[in-house]
Amino acid sequence: MTGKQQALQATPSSAPAAARPGTPVTALLKDVFKPLASLRLTIVCLACAMFIVFVGTLDQVQIGVYEAQLRYFKSFFLYFTLPGSQFRIPYFPGGYTLGAVLLINLIAAHLARFKFTWKKCGILILHSGLILLLIGQLVTSIFEEESQIQLDEGQTKNYSESPYFDELAIIDQSKPDSDAVISIPASRLIKGQTISLPIKGLQLRVDESYENAALINPNQLPSPNYPHLRLGPMAVAVAIQKTYKQNERNQPTAGVTLLKDDQPVGSWALSSGFPQPVQFKIGSDPFEIVFRPKRYYRPFSITLEEFKHDRYAGTDIAKNFSSKVRLVDPSAHENREALIYMNHPLWYSDLILYQAGFGNNDKTTVLQVMKNPSRLLPYIACGLMALGLVIQFGMHLVSFVRRRVIT
Amino acid sequence: MFLQWFPAIFGSLLHEDFFRSRRSLLEFKTMGRSRKSRRWGEVWLARPSLPESKRGAGVWRSCLFLLVLFALALTGCNNENISVYRIPKENNQVSLQTGSGNLAPPPPSNPASWTKPDGWTEKALSEMRLGSFQVAGTNDETADVSVTAFPGDAGGVESNVNRWRGQVHQPTLEGDQLAQSWQEETVDGVPTIIVDVQTPDGTEKASAILGAVMRTADRTWFVKMTGPPDLLKTQKDNFLRFVRSFHFPSTSDEEKPQQQEPPADQVKSTNDR
Repeated sequence: MTGKQQALQATPSSAPAAARPGTPVTALLKDVFKPLASLRLTIVCLACAMFIVFVGTLDQVQIGVYEAQLRYFKSFFLYFTLPGSQFRIPYFPGGYTLGAVLLINLIAAHLARFKFTWKKCGILILHSGLILLLIGQLVTSIFEEESQIQLDEGQTKNYSESPYFDELAIIDQSKPDSDAVISIPASRLIKGQTISLPIKGLQLRVDESYENAALINPNQLPSPNYPHLRLGPMAVAVAIQKTYKQNERNQPTAGVTLLKDDQPVGSWALSSGFPQPVQFKIGSDPFEIVFRPKRYYRPFSITLEEFKHDRYAGTDIAKNFSSKVRLVDPSAHENREALIYMNHPLWYSDLILYQAGFGNNDKTTVLQVMKNPSRLLPYIACGLMALGLVIQFGMHLVSFVRRRVIT
Repeated sequence: MFLQWFPAIFGSLLHEDFFRSRRSLLEFKTMGRSRKSRRWGEVWLARPSLPESKRGAGVWRSCLFLLVLFALALTGCNNENISVYRIPKENNQVSLQTGSGNLAPPPPSNPASWTKPDGWTEKALSEMRLGSFQVAGTNDETADVSVTAFPGDAGGVESNVNRWRGQVHQPTLEGDQLAQSWQEETVDGVPTIIVDVQTPDGTEKASAILGAVMRTADRTWFVKMTGPPDLLKTQKDNFLRFVRSFHFPSTSDEEKPQQQEPPADQVKSTNDR
């Protein structure tokens, strides 16, 4: 008997393991994974997945594509909010839960049920493709980053902006060569909370916070006492319902006080609908505070040289949109022109830039910037699945033909 | 990023499997087996198994535990974290996104120009100010001058003048009465009104406002000087000279047809018809 088997026999668990064929390790693994490998579980999960896809697709009409994705597919549970309260009761598994259970189920099935034989290698390849697909989706949902660059002709930017998220940025301009940016996500601005900031002992107190606001003239207030935030002499912000429409953006607005060593430095009312930086000083150090769409800074800059909106002759029907841009990356000694148009995005470092929109009488372009480290995984996964199917059916076909030849 | 995974790793240490494996390690020790057979992987696998009836429950617990780990890992990777990063110095490029009910003024594409009178000190621009000055008088008195511009009629001349009147405790006026309270003139081809109001006699903290409202084709410009009445009296000539120095390129030069164009910040998707 090997040392390994002796060791296993020393504990009570070794008894069932020894009774099974194969190495004790695989036998034990089978023991553990068998209930997880249940086919019933697979069927229930697939049925639940069909249900959430159905309901989620219907709900897109009400809450838009992005919010529906968040609520139904990029969540662990679907929640029901009790009317008139903040309590949320989970009532159905969400996409993450189902995906995770299916993934565990599939892996467990392989460990508990399948034996590796050449006859089954087609199924194994097919399933490994499926596992890769599920893992790829998980990696995508965690690491994917979607943003946009809006450029006027001649304008240069070294950052893109989130179409969904906003940030309260406090910019320390005390250094001569570079600025330090503290980015606080809008979702962290909760009324009454004080947030410790990671530099110079600063704290931010949130005095008021609106998820979405309309910016109006003070004269348009229903009454002078109507709750509002004063953004400036001619504009006030009033809270309105969050919007889910695809062509509208929420304008989170907050009244904040910056504290240094518990002493207030200043109070401001800021709105992402009016992303104008406000300058102030702490001691002699110049600072800026601004509420704006969340920015992703890049090591390169993009300049829009020309935007073209071609139409079919004699009509107003769009034929082609294209952006001629100049890409400059000093760190990679890159300085080149690129043309971005339909099906021809610009690939640079780990980003892809697509033509997405236009405006300002065809003088402004909007480029969609996608960062997805796992973008190749679905292709590899589908390739594996196709290969698995071909091998599996090919083997059946060969044996069938052989039998026919013999008879 | 990896710091966010610590709760998950820490959680796994607290999981009962870990303790169970420690217990079986102790069992090995007490049984006096040779050191060679003590490998961590085997120890984990050789943990005492649950009775047959409870084994299913244990597995479900592991499954739930895996889900919790997964949830912890995910929550660590979302957009909720405060981040600090350094960027090269930049010019303030303000981006204006479209949104519901946005009345905030777009940055003037063709800003007016003006000449600052001697003795006025320029101040840092803040919030919506396109021009900001401080005027010093005798006895440490100071007055503040601001230049702002808003799209359209910015709520109307009447309501804005009445708002200024309210700030110096003067009653609201209407129609002809209000029109008689201001002076009208034309600056660079733009109709302009000049307002001079101050707190009623006997007010504890006397203050005055000198204001000018200039209505160009696309926006309304406000020049406002606030301070003690004595100082404003001595500065009135300077203020008028300042207002009359305004030059509006977009209205007085030949660029008017642009008015018909849609707003600059309206962006369409290339997928739209």
